[in-house]
Amino acid sequence: MSRDAIFSAFEHAAEQPLESARAWKQAHGTPVVGSFPMHFPGELAHAAGCLPVILQESQEPITVGHGMIYPFYCGYTRSVVDQACKGDYDFLDAIMFGDHCVQVLGAADVVRAKLPNTRVHFYQLISSMSDPWSLGRARETFLLLREGLEEMIGHPIADDAIHASIQLFNQNRALLRRLYDLRRAGTANITAKQMQLAVKSSMVMDKASHNALLQQLLDELESSSDRQQRGVRVYLSGHFCQAPKLGVLDLIEDCGGIVVDDDLYHGTRYISTDVSEQGDPISALAEWYLARNLKVPCPTRVDQNADWENYLLKAMENSNAQGMIVLMAKFCEPHMYYYPEIKEAFERHNMPHLLIETEHELTALEGLRTRIESFLEVVKRQANAQARRVAA
Amino acid sequence: MKSSTAQYVMGIDFGSTTSKTVILDRAGNMVASAIAHKGSVSNDGAMVSMAEALQQAGITEADIARAVSTGYGRRMLDIADKSYTEITCHARGAVHLVPDARLVIDIGGQDSKVIAVDANGLVSQFAMNDRCAAGTGKFLEALARAVQVPLEEMGPMAMTAVEHLSISNMCATFAETEVVALLAEGKRKHDVLGAVHAAIASRTLGLIARVGKREPVVMTGGVAKNVAAVHHLEQVLGMKLRIPPDPQIAGALGAALFALDEITSPDHADEEDRVDTEMAAARCGTPTCTAKKPLPANVHPLHGPALH
Ligand code: SF4
Repeated sequence: MSRDAIFSAFEHAAEQPLESARAWKQAHGTPVVGSFPMHFPGELAHAAGCLPVILQESQEPITVGHGMIYPFYCGYTRSVVDQACKGDYDFLDAIMFGDHCVQVLGAADVVRAKLPNTRVHFYQLISSMSDPWSLGRARETFLLLREGLEEMIGHPIADDAIHASIQLFNQNRALLRRLYDLRRAGTANITAKQMQLAVKSSMVMDKASHNALLQQLLDELESSSDRQQRGVRVYLSGHFCQAPKLGVLDLIEDCGGIVVDDDLYHGTRYISTDVSEQGDPISALAEWYLARNLKVPCPTRVDQNADWENYLLKAMENSNAQGMIVLMAKFCEPHMYYYPEIKEAFERHNMPHLLIETEHELTALEGLRTRIESFLEVVKRQANAQARRVAA
Repeated sequence: MKSSTAQYVMGIDFGSTTSKTVILDRAGNMVASAIAHKGSVSNDGAMVSMAEALQQAGITEADIARAVSTGYGRRMLDIADKSYTEITCHARGAVHLVPDARLVIDIGGQDSKVIAVDANGLVSQFAMNDRCAAGTGKFLEALARAVQVPLEEMGPMAMTAVEHLSISNMCATFAETEVVALLAEGKRKHDVLGAVHAAIASRTLGLIARVGKREPVVMTGGVAKNVAAVHHLEQVLGMKLRIPPDPQIAGALGAALFALDEITSPDHADEEDRVDTEMAAARCGTPTCTAKKPLPANVHPLHGPALH
């Protein structure tokens, strides 16, 4: 398959996640388990013989869901509720809800009420990550998740099956990280949109099929070298549960930015950390849960040892980024809590950054264009002035 | 047809409700400036302001060596050799008019912006209003209609307000409803208009807070000609605003200055084409930047690789 054909396969799954999951279920008879994003270990559902699918924000206008959830909830939760109200989730065999923020809890209540015949498993993961009991509590939650899945399929899930799934998921993360490495190094020109499609499709597709596509793509990319791109090297930060709109990503690049790295959930956050393939798999998943918060700090977790703003400064340095664009989903409380610290740290370090608040309803991009172009002009002009001073 | 030996440069600010054109000679003297009101992003408006400016200067398009456009419709002009955003051009124009400016407040037809400028006259931060027209020229226009007072009379009338009323600064449509309700309650137009201008000022203060308050402050854009808007802004800021004689042309002037740079010091021009290699060389924008030197004591850039 050509590079373009692989990206279109990713796009098909990423942009119609429910249709592609339904088709997979029909073709393979696999039960489909939907989950909220962020902290669900898809490995467990996979080991239970299911297709784990992370429920995505839909691009459809929110209509019937309006009546069920406040308009000041984030676009992700409003869209999930709307999809549930429209019957889009009826084909799911189970839904696994975590409670990573208050808004997601509200959405879970509505979805549960709207889908009385769907098995809904609610799990609460400890959110304080650096206490002596954090690991034990995370392990207990994952054990309960395993039991919930075993009850659903009617038989125990063997440790070996979980190990095999962990291995498959690790491979997937490693392949995606290789794609990031190529982009960071500038040897493969992968657009922000393509990168999102690669990661987002992994959240909804069968992992083995996704791995096969990724392997082909990497074989092609690693055997050639793209021409070095010109423009301002941009780091993208923010957006957790929903993927940033592709139009916004295209706009950044259209204005002269080159996205070189990110901490997006539909990006490096999702693939940052592998699970140990040794020993008790449930303990390994609990360790993974704590470790990934140190790799890419998450504002929905409380961790004395993690510092998001320092992480971002370091990540910008590693990717040689010149400016950071923060994409904040409107009404996303966890992000709003942390943003002031990021702003302050970036100002202290003279690092250019631009905040863009995004909305489910965002359609007119022209206003954004001026802000993005202005930001890139600021970065360029400041850098030029400095280069002249250095030369003088 | 533009020729490189021609003696003039042109800056065109193709705005959402008005178009402004400035022509400079090679020495940087302003030889013409024109403003045309033609409604939403109108090509006609841009053409009219350009034709008027050329006529004022007594020259033709062939005498223009370089043209730079800015504003909402900046990419729609064939005549322009290059375009920059209104943030970059307004800052440039405002700093040219008031060289020690550190903060530029520009309130135009459709948007309002606040730009922090560093000691070198470069933009260090900016904030723009989001989609809502609250706090912009449009907001004033809508309320002028509601109060049935000609736009240019609103400011002087608002200055005679006696009773302190308040209206919301969040949404132009809500504000209009509130204005109608106040009038229905029998409140005087003067007092209602006082409240309208206070709302613009408090809305702008929100934008200023995003980039940080600093002095001296220059105000540009059409609303800078409105005495009540300036008065209320000065009140909420607790400082005097500097208003250039022609506040509306700052963006077009900035664009013309960029055009001038490009013909007089091509080394410094065409930033876009040169910037990536230079930035890579300087590794600028990274905390480990080896090119960094200590900042002078009087310089406090808020962000940006800036002044080291
Ligand atoms: S973390 Fe933010 S985006 Fe995710 S559900 Fe909560 S509020 Fe919405």
